[in-house]
Amino acid sequence: MQEILYEAERVSMIYKKGKYKANKEISLQIRRGEIVGVLGPNGAGKSTLIKQLVGHLKPTEGRVLYNGIDVYKQTRTVAGQVAYFAQEPHVLNALTAREALVFTGQLRGMPKSRAMREADELLERFEIPEARDKQLKRLSGGQKRMIGIGTALIGHSPVLILDEPTNELDPAKRRLVWELISEYNLEGATVILVTHNVLEAEQVVDRVAVINHGRLLALDSVAKLKQRVDQRLKFEIQTAYGASDEVEEVLKGWGIIQRHGANRMNLLVNKEEAGDVLNMIISSEDLPVDEFSVLPPSLEDVYFHIDHEGKEGAGA
Amino acid sequence: MNTLMPSADTGLPQISGRFARWRLEVSILFRIQFATVKDSWMWIILMATLYPLATFLFMRFYTVNPSEEMIVQIIAGNLVFGLVVMGMNSLGQEIAMQKHQNHFTFYASLPISKQNFVIANLLRGLMNTVPSLLILGVLTQVIYDIQLTLSPGLLPVMVLSLTSVVGIGILLGFWSPTFQFTNMLCQALMMVISFLSPVMVTMEQLPYPLQWLAYVMPTTYAADAMRTILTAGWTTGVMLDCLVMLAFTMISLFAVHRLIGWRVSD
Repeated sequence: MQEILYEAERVSMIYKKGKYKANKEISLQIRRGEIVGVLGPNGAGKSTLIKQLVGHLKPTEGRVLYNGIDVYKQTRTVAGQVAYFAQEPHVLNALTAREALVFTGQLRGMPKSRAMREADELLERFEIPEARDKQLKRLSGGQKRMIGIGTALIGHSPVLILDEPTNELDPAKRRLVWELISEYNLEGATVILVTHNVLEAEQVVDRVAVINHGRLLALDSVAKLKQRVDQRLKFEIQTAYGASDEVEEVLKGWGIIQRHGANRMNLLVNKEEAGDVLNMIISSEDLPVDEFSVLPPSLEDVYFHIDHEGKEGAGA
Repeated sequence: MNTLMPSADTGLPQISGRFARWRLEVSILFRIQFATVKDSWMWIILMATLYPLATFLFMRFYTVNPSEEMIVQIIAGNLVFGLVVMGMNSLGQEIAMQKHQNHFTFYASLPISKQNFVIANLLRGLMNTVPSLLILGVLTQVIYDIQLTLSPGLLPVMVLSLTSVVGIGILLGFWSPTFQFTNMLCQALMMVISFLSPVMVTMEQLPYPLQWLAYVMPTTYAADAMRTILTAGWTTGVMLDCLVMLAFTMISLFAVHRLIGWRVSD
């Protein structure tokens, strides 16, 4: 059995004298060497949990243990082993890309020569060698973000905690980031990442924590979470322009609807009812559906299913 | 001697030796800080010189036949003022700005000491302040045609003048609820130090309640030490002032160590 690296024990964060709870009694364990994805909508409490894991935020209740030590009591020890990326490092804006990486590596304890070598390798790997001697403030948003990720990767820390690493990146760079995460994990790094990009995360994560309204709704392997919806099928539907509300009104009784933009939606239905839904869509001449396809559910659908269950549970 | 050795726990090579680690941290943190001002260095020195120089010229124009004692008072006041502006006002505002721009998130993610971050900020501030102090010292001597005593004791007096107020700047910066509020608070403090404490004027010129207030302000001792050392060199009075400033330094640094943190909930 894999060794437990992180353990959150009934962790809560209550702001403003109990008026607002960012997270509530979250308990979880993260094993050494795994990749855990933290999923949830905006304001769900994901970043609060991550800040508690790295020791930047003291839980108002409960505690977080890293290798058996309380992260908030020994933050410097934790910072020496856990590399954390939350956003572009504006603090480094006046440095060149290479300086930013080398200095961060040295502050992590790397010898200068190794930090320089690794910085050059990262710049090559990021496919931005031209950024090497440019100040970060002169780089594009995507390039800056890559350097920010580089500051977490440099030094090969045993733990990587990445908050929305692929935001604002183009598809090629996003793929590169996922590749790097997988490579670092193969070398032994434990990775905890917050992401909205469920479809891409599905390719790399071992387990998924689903969080909403400050509560941990599920923490399990992708395969096991998918079992929760293996009796379901997903309809990906494109409606006629401006007709989404009408289509949703007709379909909402059949399953869980999840809207994507103005004219797209997914409908998650039980397998035994999928035939009826299919017949209805095909035979109904008045239903303004332009295109549709039927697929097995993805991790994203699992997430929405769990979230839907959580809301129903909260409402009950 | 090779100071690098692999850490069994992390696999990362760690730099052994606390001093080597301290020096490396301060040097890198200073370079990060310096990078932010290196393009506008001359402007910053100019601006740092402007206020004391303007005050000095104001006193020159509006003081008829000033006595030597008054001139030294003005010079010492201006020198102390420059150090106080840097150690309290600028440092407080700079740290507050870095806090509100989320720079602490980056620093808190690294195994570095917050004291070293403060030292790096202080060194950067000194780089801007020392040239302006030198310019001011030379100019005032030339304009008033007086000879100041340049005792070696001037260095500890300047250092203690700075360190005795640094804690206030650091506390203001780290505590800062909003940048605007900290900015306002720093400006208000500067008003008190400029006009309501015995920095530019003597203690006797202040109203009685302000004289009492002056006893708990480190700038009072800084100005007194500076004034005495520029005229009479190192004396028992200067030594006592230095001891009081040392006490202010120790208390404020203890408070800084206990009260401030990188973390958002601190």
